[in-house]
Parts: sequence; structure tokens; C-alpha cells
Amino acid sequence: MRNFTYHSPRTLADALDAARESGGDILAGGTTVVDLMKIGVREPAALVDITGLTDLEGHEIGPNSIRFGALARMSVVANDQELVAAAPVLTESLWKAASPQLRNVARLGGNILQRTRCPYFRDTAYAQCNKREPGSGCAALDGGETSHHAVLGGSSSCVAKYPGDWAQALIAFDAEVHTQGPGGRRTILFADLHLMPGDTPEVETILQQGEIVIEITVPVVPALKASHYLKARDRESYAFASASAAVGIELDGDTVRDVRIALGGVATTPWRASAAEDSLKGSPLTEATAREAGRIAFAEAQELEGSAYKIKLGADVVAGALMTAKSRANGGK
Amino acid sequence: MAQTINTAVTRTDAPRKVTGTATYAADFMPAGMLHGALATSSVAVGTLTGMDISKAEAEPGVLAVFTRETLPDYKSVKGFYAGGPGSASFWPMNESQLRSYSAGPGSASFWPMEDARIRYAGQPIAYVVAETAAAARRGAQLIEATYDIAESTIAMDPADSFVIGAGDDSDGMVITKGDVAEGLSVATQIVDSEYVTPFQHHNPMEMFSATAEWRGDRLTVWMPSQSVKTLRSGIAKAYDMSETSVRVISPFVGGAFGSKAGVTPYTMLTIAAAKAMGAPVRLIVTRPQMYTVATFRPESVQRFRIGADAAGKLTAFEHIEISQTSQFDAVVNPGTHITRAMYACPNIHTEQRLSRSDTNSGGFMRAPNEMQTFFGLESAMDELAIKLGMDPVELRRVNDTDRHPVADVPFSSRSLMESYDAVADSFGWANRTPEVGSMTDGDWLVGYGCATATYPTNILASNARVRMHSTGEAYIELAAHDVGTGTYTIMAQIAAARLGLPVEACDVVMGEGDMPVAPLAGGSTTAASAGSAVHDACLKIGRQIAAQVSAMSEGPLSGVDPAAITLENGVLKASGGQSQPLIEALASTATGQIEVIGEFRHKAMTDQMIKTTFQGGYGSAGPVTPEMAMFAFGAEMVEVRVHRWTHEIRVPRLHGAFAAGTILNRKTAHSQLMGGMIWGIGSALHEVTEIDTPRARFLNTNIAEYLIPVNADVREIRVEMLDERDDYVNPLGVKGIGELGIVGTAAAIANAVYHATGKRLRHLPIRTSDMV
Repeated sequence: MRNFTYHSPRTLADALDAARESGGDILAGGTTVVDLMKIGVREPAALVDITGLTDLEGHEIGPNSIRFGALARMSVVANDQELVAAAPVLTESLWKAASPQLRNVARLGGNILQRTRCPYFRDTAYAQCNKREPGSGCAALDGGETSHHAVLGGSSSCVAKYPGDWAQALIAFDAEVHTQGPGGRRTILFADLHLMPGDTPEVETILQQGEIVIEITVPVVPALKASHYLKARDRESYAFASASAAVGIELDGDTVRDVRIALGGVATTPWRASAAEDSLKGSPLTEATAREAGRIAFAEAQELEGSAYKIKLGADVVAGALMTAKSRANGGK
Repeated sequence: MAQTINTAVTRTDAPRKVTGTATYAADFMPAGMLHGALATSSVAVGTLTGMDISKAEAEPGVLAVFTRETLPDYKSVKGFYAGGPGSASFWPMNESQLRSYSAGPGSASFWPMEDARIRYAGQPIAYVVAETAAAARRGAQLIEATYDIAESTIAMDPADSFVIGAGDDSDGMVITKGDVAEGLSVATQIVDSEYVTPFQHHNPMEMFSATAEWRGDRLTVWMPSQSVKTLRSGIAKAYDMSETSVRVISPFVGGAFGSKAGVTPYTMLTIAAAKAMGAPVRLIVTRPQMYTVATFRPESVQRFRIGADAAGKLTAFEHIEISQTSQFDAVVNPGTHITRAMYACPNIHTEQRLSRSDTNSGGFMRAPNEMQTFFGLESAMDELAIKLGMDPVELRRVNDTDRHPVADVPFSSRSLMESYDAVADSFGWANRTPEVGSMTDGDWLVGYGCATATYPTNILASNARVRMHSTGEAYIELAAHDVGTGTYTIMAQIAAARLGLPVEACDVVMGEGDMPVAPLAGGSTTAASAGSAVHDACLKIGRQIAAQVSAMSEGPLSGVDPAAITLENGVLKASGGQSQPLIEALASTATGQIEVIGEFRHKAMTDQMIKTTFQGGYGSAGPVTPEMAMFAFGAEMVEVRVHRWTHEIRVPRLHGAFAAGTILNRKTAHSQLMGGMIWGIGSALHEVTEIDTPRARFLNTNIAEYLIPVNADVREIRVEMLDERDDYVNPLGVKGIGELGIVGTAAAIANAVYHATGKRLRHLPIRTSDMV
């Protein structure tokens, strides 16, 4: 690890100053930043530890909106029983992520900015990685192992998968991210936060250097109550998704009035499956229409060697998640 | 005194482990210690054309950067690994094998950093020494190497394989009995299938480390080791030193599983760096580097052709195992000599083949090689049972045998079907409906599967020092190892039972090269072999004290013929009925204490086997001796569930019944078997070292992405240990259980997956991606 300067500001203003002056990385729980520093992928000259900004902790369920402080811990939010009842997708996607130890340390603002687990990105022994070294190529696409890579949103430069779970719930429910940066305070639609790799996979979000996530808000809609996060993974805990789906529905009798579908473990960014949602709106939700929605969600998917399974698996996961959401909409579990 | 053998005794070292006072190798930090770090090759095959070490040298805290040009002493040393598992002398072999083995299991037949040639990705190319571990690692990161890159391939090509050795029956690599073609021609049903197992790495929780300190010509090495004798003799030979000048210390080992069995490149580099620096150096290998600086489980292909008549009796049995090895070593863990011992059959052919690719050398990994071979064998048996329309348990019953099918000697004990019957009872096998997909529960498809487990009983020469004091304490010392399995406890139990002392009064000291010879902690040898040496020492104490007290003018045994006195549970008993507690008899002697060396030598051990073991090698007399075949047996049954929507595979229940002779400690034995079964779940469903084909590198070199079971994957595990008596294997009747638990699990799970879904998976691991 490269030596670095450590800043531990007590106010947001000091944090912004320290980030601007040092050009350093923002440190919260550190589960991504410190990890990447240890393996030599990130070598910031400075770290600005914002965990002293205790105002950014906590979360509240309001009548119109649920607010999450950027420094709320994953484990604390996942265990809030009021939230479990009000918006199960927001808690299920947290407690199915990572391990208990990581959830105790990791903060929500950092969680949404989690970096990819692409092994070629994470191992500096590979000369080719456009995300790590722009213009160097892509070892994954150059005959590499791609069974864990994205089938949606990839480009000829990069197919690295966005690894997170919670982000799928946020994008499905039109969350907003509130930040403070050199240009002042701004609000970003969560769907606009992450950028597809295109020709610049090194640029993953629209955040500026030194811009700090302050809080995340999720509008309260009826479909939140009948929501679900279904995650298929190769072991029961502490595994990244092979495919996952964050869904929610609002029924009007048997007819779907509102439906939300987002996909995890299959795309380069948090991924809203809008066409699949459209296919269900105004229609009855049955196993057949749920399966069709799953199929539509992956209509644009491009398989890589070894990743064809994600397309079939992802479609089934969407359908299975929708059936659980339907059961919840009808008062079941 | 309470019976201490075959009871559940809590580990004597448990308080030290949970309070952090158990000293593992890296906990020893000699004064003035410096820190080492490895820089490794980023390419697999080629030539190192240059190395810029200026940035590394400029890093604050870095004291030295050693390259192949600058590491002193190093290249003058000859005979790397001689006497260790890298040498021909490690395995007893005939001459044709000697010629074929360029080195031996778990070795490297070249020196790391001896030349500019790069043979595999992750090969050490430089060694950085610094004031802190952080500075050393940073220094290693800053080294910039350039290479001429040559073509490389990491996956073996099974079509390009070879037999090492003579290629006939003389060395066991190829065995033919009867005529397989003829056996197949009379078969009613034939299974002709190939089963593939992946590269796997041990990933012990305790990182690899080595600490070396020179004092003049004397060297001390602290390193977690499954074989301190191997380590000592290998280092001594490499440095042309006497073994008595080399101290090797490894009192506790935080998981090994085969990965800490040998002398390794990082050991030798650390010793050389310590010599060059004139100061002790400690290296702790990073997790990614652990994938390439020691050994791993090589990938394999298991080919089976098995024929059976309408009643299910085998008419032909052919097993060809192709196992991966490096370009420079011929590492073979023979697996076919176990599969051919399983079932009665008149026509048998087995071949042990190797195929080379560009990796470091593989080695042993729990259980070598039964995890791989029994995934194949027991999947094939399940396929055969389905073709025959037989219950899979009945197919094993029909083919059970009390004689070794090739060696034609009796089994010293064989409780295979007793194991099946016991596990079938506890599991509820009778509730299984044979039709595929016939058992469901909500969104879950349910399947039941079973498989045979076995492990050869390896017995090796061992010594042990036991000293007993009339104050009621005993000191037991031997160069055995506790790799987390409970060896400290069982050695104390054996002494306590024989000497009539409480377990806690028996102080066991192990894990140093200077102690009395005990075998490598591998191949399930320690309890049977080292334990028998402790047992022998205690009986010797009894005989010597009996001789002394019988010669005394007074006392209960005065004047009794010492040959008529035996030691039973701490009491000297004469055939005439007189008796005296051993501790009392000892107190009446002049010294009040006695020290002896116990020995375990089995009548089937040749002098060469004993010598091999004493030189740090593996001179096992098992599993087949001229008169007996020695194996532990078991059977496993599993319930698997496959989810309709997520296609996830889960294991709610895994039951096993095992018969392995005397069980010394019912608690630690239960843990060992359960641990093996859990590892079996991992092998079946989780574990694989993924590979990057174009650049011939191991890919998922961390334990976030190298999946092993977590607690949530392990639900009901039931372990039953059957009573079994075996008077042949050793005086304690112990067969060894370290490896047995894992052997049947993967096949049982694959068979259950088939039963649930109709999908026959002939590769490991079986993943969600296989289920869609």
C-alpha cells in the first residue's frame, strides 16, 4: 500500500476542504477503498475519513419519503423492523449483501459506490484493464473468464459487473441521491448516478472529485410495501449475485397498477428493466406473465462465454420475485 | 481411573486457543527481526528480461531487494528439497519410478530465482526485506519486471497424458487383473463416463509464513508445518548442514490440509535472506500469493467403464485417472489404488496418468486423491444402479467383498455395509421414492443421494518419549503435529489411560524437528502411528517398573516374575492376582521417575519404509500389506434441494456413518468427520480455483470469490461412529479419520441433484449455472 495522508474532519465543510485540497479519496466504512488500496488498485495520496460526521448517520421513515443518511450502517438499516414492514426490498437487499462483519462496518453512501469485483480490474498483474488503466484493453474480453461478467450494459471496452444489491432496490423505486461538492449541494436521480462503461469505463459515476454523498431518499409508493429482493447465489450467504431482482407491485384487483423491476448481478450498472415493467402494467400478474416479463428484461442481453446461464437464471429470478411480491400484495408473505 | 479412550474429551489446548495464547509459528518474533515480502511473476511462461528495483529500494523502510543476481549463497546450494517431499526419497519407489519422478509430490525441481526462466504465473522473482511488513510489501509492489513472454497453457489437455514409471503392474501405476473387454462383453449394463474435478486451493485460515534466524552456523526456522522432520531434513540437505544444526519449530498449525507439508520456495528464500541480512527475517505470504508459492489440488479427469450383470454384480471395472502436474515435476497422488479396492470384480484395469500444464506444482489436499476419484467412482456406481433399476445401496451390497479384489488378501476389517445400514436408518433412506423429481416441497425439488466413503489406513514408524513422575505427572514428547485436529488431546488420553493418570496431568509437547520421530500429519497417519508409539512407551514404563519392583525385597510385587506382570489402566497386575498402582510402584523406585522412548514398528514395515520415515519421508506400510488390506469405511446420505426460481442448490441434511477402528476421542473425531463432510459440501457445490486461460493464471485468489461453505450452507450434519475392532492395523486398533469424512460427500450430493432434477452433473463444482 502506498503511504497516504489521513484526514479526519469533524464538519462537512472541513471534509469538503480536505478533499479539495488533498485530492484524496473519501473514506467511510472502507470496505471498498481500503481493500483496493491494499491490492494496489487505488493509490490515493490522501484519505478523508468522514465517519466523524455523525450528522450523516441515521435514517427515518416519513409519510412521503424514506431518508437514509450516507453514514447509516448496512446492518442497522437491515434490522429496522419498521422498515422491514414498510419496504421489504430495502432491507432484504441489504441483509442479503456481504457478510455480517462487512454489514456492521459498511455505510450506505459507500455501498452504492462499491467498485466492481472483476478479477482483471482487481489484479494489477493484468496489464489490460480499461477501467484501471484507460486504453490498456480488456483482459476479460481478450479470451478471459467471463462467466461472472455483465450481460447487460457492457461495451467493447468493459463488461465488468456492478456488484451491489441495495442499488437495485434504489433504482427500482426512483431514489434520489443528495450530495455536497465543490459546486455546492445537488440532487441526483439514482438512475443517473452510475454511468455505463461505453468508451470510458474508468468513469463510473457522475460524482466529481471531492463530492460527498450526504443522504439518499426513496419516495414512498404503494408498491414498496409489496416488494421483494430475490438473490440467486452459489452459497447461502456472503456471495455476490449470480442474478438478482428487486421488484415491487401495486395491484388493482387482479390488474397491475404499478410494478418495479431492477436487475442485479447481470449488468454493468444498477439496472432498471423498464420494458419488463411496461409489459405488466394494466395486465394481470400470473406465472405466465411474470415469466414473460423476465424474458423481456433480458431481451437485449448479450451473453459472453460462460455467461449464457445468467440470461435464463435472471429471467427466472425476476419471475420468482414477482410471484412473491404478488403474494405480499395479497397480504401473504 | 476413568476410561479415557473412546470418550469425549475436550481439547486440552482449547483454553490457549480461545485466549490467543497458543503460539503459532508467526507469533515467534526473534529480537531484531526484519520483514520479508515476495514479488512474483505476472506472466506464466517466458524469460525475465529486466527488473527495475530502484523505486522499491527508495521506498522508506526497505533495506534490501534481492533478485536472482543479488541473493548471496543461494545459487551455490545444491540438492534443493532433498529428503523432503520434493525428493525421490520421499516416496518409497522402485528404480523405474525414481527415474520418472523428476522430483516428487509438492515440490519444485528447480530453485526459485535460480535463473531468468519463468515457468508459471506467480513464481517468485524478487525478495524484499524491510523494517516493517508494510514497507516490504510496498517495496514488492514497486518492482517493475519486463519479460519475453512465451506461449502458456494452464488447463491440462487430457488427450496428452502419460504414465510415469514402468507402465506395468510393477509399481502400481497401471494394474490389470483379468480382462476388462471380456468383462464388458458379458455385462448387462455398462457405465462409460468421465468425471472432471477442478483446481482447488487449501486456503487455510493461518497464512503461510516462515521466520528464519541464523546464529553462526546454527539455523532456527519457525514455520507452520505438517512435517517438521521433512522440513528439517530438507533444509539441512539444501544447506549441506547437519540436521542437528537446524531447529524447526511449529507447535500449532492453523489449518494445513496438505498445504504445509513440504519445504517451499518461500522457506528457502527466507532462510537465504536472513543469512544475507545477518538478522532474523519473517515472511508472511499474502493470500493471493498463497495460490502459487505452495501446492494445490490438481485438476483431474476420472474415466470409468464399469459393467454389471443383471443381478448387479460387477463384471468389469476400469478406472483411468488423469491428473494435472506442472511442466517440471511429476506430482502423482495415486487414486486408482483405492478405487480398485472397493468392489468385488473379476476383471480390473486401472491407470494412473499425468498431464502437464504451466502451473506451480500441485500436491496433496484433503483427501488425496479420494475426493476426486470417489466423486467419479460413486457417481458412476449411482449411474449403474439407475441403469440396472436397483437401489444404489443394494448395488454396493451386492458387490461388497471381504477380500481385496486385486491383492486378494482379506481386509483387516471392513464395515462398509454396516455403515450403509446405520446411515440409512438415521437418514430415513426408506422414505426415498426412486423416480427422478418425485419428491418436492413447495418451490423446492428434493433429492436423496448416497455414496461410499473410504480411506486407506497408512501406518508409519514413529517414536515417542514419555517421562512419568511419581508426583502423578507425565511428559510426552514427539515430533507429531496438531493441525487443529486434537492431536495434543489424544496423545494425552492414550498416556493417561495406560499410566492411570488424569488427562490434564499428561503434558504433551510436539511440533519440533528435534523431538522423537513421528510421521507427517497427512494421510490420516498421526493417531494410528504416533499414538501407537505413545502407547508403546507407556507399556515399556510398565515393564521397566515391574522389573524394578519385582526385584525389591518388599512390596506387593516383590519376587513376582516380571514377565507375568502387565500394565492395565495404570495398575501393574501379576498373573497370580497381586497388583500395585503404577504410580505407587514408581514412587518406590530410587529415582521416582522414568523416561523411555516408545516405538511403533508394524511387522509389515520394511527396513526401507522405516528409514524413509526417519529421513522425513512417507514410508507407509499401508494400505495393502502382504497379508492384509487396511481401509476405513463409511457411507454418506444427503438430502439436496434445488429451488424452482433461483435454481440454487442447498443441502438441508447430510448424514454419515463411519467405521475406523478404535475412536480415541469421540468429540474430536466427530469434529474431524463433520469438518470433512462440510468440506465435501464445498467441493460439491462451491470450491473452484477459476483460471484465466490466455495468461495461464489462477483468477479468484481471495476468499471472497473462492467460495467455501459458510455457516448458512451447513444445516443438519449427523455423524455416527460405529464400533469396530481391528487387531491388525496397530496395537490401538486405530485406522485414522482425518480424510474419511470428505470422501463420499461430493458424489452423494451429485447423485441427489440427479434424483431431484434428472440432471447428471459429471463435473465439480455443481453450480446454479448448471441448473438452468
